[in-house]
Amino acid sequence: MSETLLLQAQRVSKRYGATIALQEASFGLRKGEVHALLGANGSGKSTLAKVVAGVVAPDGGEIWLGGQAVRFRNPLEARAAGIAVVYQELSLVEDLSVQDNLWLGHEPPARFGRVDARAARARTEALLGLFEDVAGPRFAPETLAGELPPDERQLVEILKAVSLEPRVLVLDEATASLDGRQVERLFGLVGEWKARGWGIVIVTHRMEEIFRVADRATVLRNGQVVGEVRIGETSREELIGLISGEASRALHSAEARASAPARRTSPLLSLRVRRGRKLRGLELEVYPGEILGLGGLHGQGQSELLLSLFGALPGQDLSLRLEGQPRAFRHPSEAMRAGLAYVPGDRNREGLLAARSILENFLLPSWKSYHRGPLLDLGQARRAALEVGEKLKLKFGALDDRVTSLSGGNAQKVVLGKWLLRSPRVLLLDDPTKGIDVGAKAEFYQLLAELRAQGLGVVFYSSDDDELLSLCDRVLVLLEGRITAELSHAELTRDRLIRASLGVKEVVSGEP
Amino acid sequence: MTLLRRLLAQPYALALILLILGLVVTALFQPAFFTPRTFANNLRTYLPLILLAVGQTVVVLGGGIDLSLGAILTLSSVVMVQAFGMEADPGPLRTFGGVALGLLVGTLAGAVNGFCVAYLRLQPIIATFATSFIWGGLALWVLPQPGGNVPTVLQDFVRAYFLMPFSLWAVLAILLAWAWFLGTRWARALYAVGGNPQAAFTSGLSVERTRLGAYAAAGLLTGLGAFFLTADIATGDPLIGGPLTLASVVAVVIGGTRLSGGAGGIVGSILGAVAYYLLKNVVALSVFNFNLSPQWQTLIDGTVIVLALAAPGLLRLVRRQP
Amino acid sequence: MTRPPNPLPTLLRTPPMIAVGLAVLLLLLGELVRPGFADYGQVTNILRIAAFLGIVAIGQTLVILSGGEGIDLSVGAVVTLGAIIIYRFTGGSDALLLPALLIALGVGFLIGLVNGVGIAWVKIPPLVMTLGMMGVVKGLILVYTGGRPQGATPPVMKSIISDPWVLGIPGDVFIWVILGVGVTLLLQRTAYGKALYAIGSNRTTARLSGVRVERMLILTYALSGMFSALGGFVLLGYLQNVFINLGDPYTLPTIAAVVVGGTALAGGMGGYAGTMAGALVLTLVSSLLITLGLPEFGRQITYGLILLVLLAVYGRERRLRG
Repeated sequence: MSETLLLQAQRVSKRYGATIALQEASFGLRKGEVHALLGANGSGKSTLAKVVAGVVAPDGGEIWLGGQAVRFRNPLEARAAGIAVVYQELSLVEDLSVQDNLWLGHEPPARFGRVDARAARARTEALLGLFEDVAGPRFAPETLAGELPPDERQLVEILKAVSLEPRVLVLDEATASLDGRQVERLFGLVGEWKARGWGIVIVTHRMEEIFRVADRATVLRNGQVVGEVRIGETSREELIGLISGEASRALHSAEARASAPARRTSPLLSLRVRRGRKLRGLELEVYPGEILGLGGLHGQGQSELLLSLFGALPGQDLSLRLEGQPRAFRHPSEAMRAGLAYVPGDRNREGLLAARSILENFLLPSWKSYHRGPLLDLGQARRAALEVGEKLKLKFGALDDRVTSLSGGNAQKVVLGKWLLRSPRVLLLDDPTKGIDVGAKAEFYQLLAELRAQGLGVVFYSSDDDELLSLCDRVLVLLEGRITAELSHAELTRDRLIRASLGVKEVVSGEP
Repeated sequence: MTLLRRLLAQPYALALILLILGLVVTALFQPAFFTPRTFANNLRTYLPLILLAVGQTVVVLGGGIDLSLGAILTLSSVVMVQAFGMEADPGPLRTFGGVALGLLVGTLAGAVNGFCVAYLRLQPIIATFATSFIWGGLALWVLPQPGGNVPTVLQDFVRAYFLMPFSLWAVLAILLAWAWFLGTRWARALYAVGGNPQAAFTSGLSVERTRLGAYAAAGLLTGLGAFFLTADIATGDPLIGGPLTLASVVAVVIGGTRLSGGAGGIVGSILGAVAYYLLKNVVALSVFNFNLSPQWQTLIDGTVIVLALAAPGLLRLVRRQP
Repeated sequence: MTRPPNPLPTLLRTPPMIAVGLAVLLLLLGELVRPGFADYGQVTNILRIAAFLGIVAIGQTLVILSGGEGIDLSVGAVVTLGAIIIYRFTGGSDALLLPALLIALGVGFLIGLVNGVGIAWVKIPPLVMTLGMMGVVKGLILVYTGGRPQGATPPVMKSIISDPWVLGIPGDVFIWVILGVGVTLLLQRTAYGKALYAIGSNRTTARLSGVRVERMLILTYALSGMFSALGGFVLLGYLQNVFINLGDPYTLPTIAAVVVGGTALAGGMGGYAGTMAGALVLTLVSSLLITLGLPEFGRQITYGLILLVLLAVYGRERRLRG
């Protein structure tokens, strides 16, 4: 049995801080097989793919390659062992030509350090030829990678991995930016590569692709493998059932929502995007006392939507109304003064001043209101910070300690607290509970309920479907920059949420 | 027409325009500039900066910057002068040994810069700024006062004329070497490391070694520049290189090489270096022709330099407006 | 993440206190090497020299705190220009001193403003922009003075700056202390200061928290120019005379003083108290080197090495990861 397995992960575990990303997950890839990894957001499918590719070192468990236990310290070692990964985030050098990108680091050598240009050219043309008729006229060896549209760059990325002639090819959401014909061609090629004996791991959220190309699928939920199925012997319903777990946990959330205040007064905030970065025509309204959830898989435009509301992505074709008045925020400071607040998704890169104190992080947006004459009233600022800290149950040593002395959950409280000091009317939250512990999460939910009761409008993106289900009054599901469903009341179930995230058509959007 | 359009689409279009502008104005007001002898003499004085600019380009392409090139040039130059001794013909050992020693010192100084940046991971701008004082200080130690002598062989060598001035041969040699280099995997590594270090890293390239190599190469090219400068002026000066650092950055910027790395090339920098001198010449001419006091020259020079540095950024701002 | 216990209390381990400790150590070392080095008169003299450096370094501190490889290399030239404007405009008249000072400060502010615009909007790297600006300001000085500054120092400046106020301590030391308190308040107790630390620490966070990063940068470089001009005022009061490159020797030491004082070159951390201590340390190092008979080149190399070592300790960049 095990000798037919090309690559095997045995009881692999990985944790990031308090979050368990993978728990004793096992999976086996056969020679000449296409194996899909499936799961909802945070199920651990990407982590498993990264462990296999040597990008992420597991905390426990073993990886077997061709009957030998291996331990990759970095992606290069995995690559040397014949595992090639097509990254989701593009890793091309924009100012190098397509050809140079394809062979970067493994150029066909000639004498005196030169590259065998003829060989490189011939092989490049052969590789590009695979997609020639489904790509534009600029899809050529000498075009600079940065000049290609996203789909063709993704093709180059795929070919870069293929040029390594790997034994195992990992396609991590590699089809996300491709069009239908390109995907079709890719899958045709996958068939050929399979016949050559390559093992192919595919991570995708497009259900139809799995049925189109995969032989087997491993389904993950909450970091655990919940099933391995042969695609020929399963149905779409069965797979969705495996991905989403028990039929519905909506009962609990329906209860929570029952206490929601009556809305449909007049919207607090409304947005209409005609064309924007990553957003492709959408409309939304937020009512006072409402938590509006944004759902969908990672990177479908949720962050861009929140940033647009906050005036942080100027130059887009959109119109925005706050309490009925048309507004155009050209800078976050304008949105901030109008009563908006934004908690970014990447706490360390966008939310905190790592080098500064807790006090300064709290007061950053509001220093100006503490000026008494030429100087700041630090005493008052401290009192305000302490008050918010208490309200948020912040665990800290002293206000003057560096903000990096806090745990993840407490640091996130500071990012939120700095806005509470300004008593905002609209709260924009970009995956605010990512990587924080359970206790802090519970406190955060409590706080969110209080803020809603005070009549704030909250727009809340979460990568955790449970949060959307239990906290939100309404959820808009985004897919590739569009709203594919609006779910509320009885429609707001895990099943529908996941279907809408995956773009499965059966559910008609619930626009009233 | 299409050729013109293709030229204007090149990253070094700005350098080309400035160069042509400089040539035209010079031709109008100072026709004597183009007599073979004057022209050859001028080209010879441009050569050190051209080499520095090429070295700077290599470093900048790799994502760094070297603000000590002027100081390295000085150090390399005074080392050569001290090695030559005072005789007009010190014999081949001292003559060629001196040149080799100077080149070695330049390369080593560049490598030290590269080590600080690549392996110690210091910010290139500040680190090379700091080392510039070390190289400059060492130069003052080697030769405290201007003086010294250069063997006549070498002086004649850089003044040689074979079909065209020696300086043009030198530039041609640089261009050929560059053409060879562009065909190597090191060139790809250099551009990749400057353009997207993370991608270079995941593609299996050594970012550190590539950066170190770029700095060392710049040091060597600077050493060559020092040789041409020293043989040209036939003496040593412990403060000679200072202004050339900024000039090399200016040449790189107007030559269309992006300061953040990964895009550009030496052709633009060479054009940029020549344009830099021609512009200075034009400024000098205008100051003279408009009867301005000579003090204006420094001011106009400085302003032109700042405008040239700002040009790519200004173009970007203008393009974004409509 | 438990740290080993450290016998020193936290306050004493902050970079400014380390710098002060270093200063005391240097003083004692000087006294050991050359008895008389730590005399009262000597110490006041060192304080007065440190005061010039410290005042000129105010702007440098602000600019470095603003992050993004922030640095101002035009400070030396602006010091000179400020001194020359006062020298020439007053022509020795006490009555004209105040307007002259205001003009000098205004000109400094404007020069810094241009730096800021080039850096914040045109995205020229600060070091390159301010280095270019240094050339422009030198040109301005030449044009303004015709190469030989005419004028005189108002007598009242001598009594303000040069003459002892109490205990034989000259006025500039008191001015320095007053400015020190003022700048520290500006940094610690105003919305400007808080926003400055914020943009130095993380510009994305600052922007997403409503800070106008570009405006802050422009204002900061403008303030740097203004404080440099103020440095020119103080220097003029001490020297009673001006020359064309009066401020040049101060540019590099201001950066070194800021770094020695523990302000991170990456920005966002540090303060003016550290710079004051750093100015003291550098002045002591410099007097000690002079006392020891170390020539110019030795001092240059020492500065370079100090900068490099401090960079390696404080200012490393992050390692690439797969």
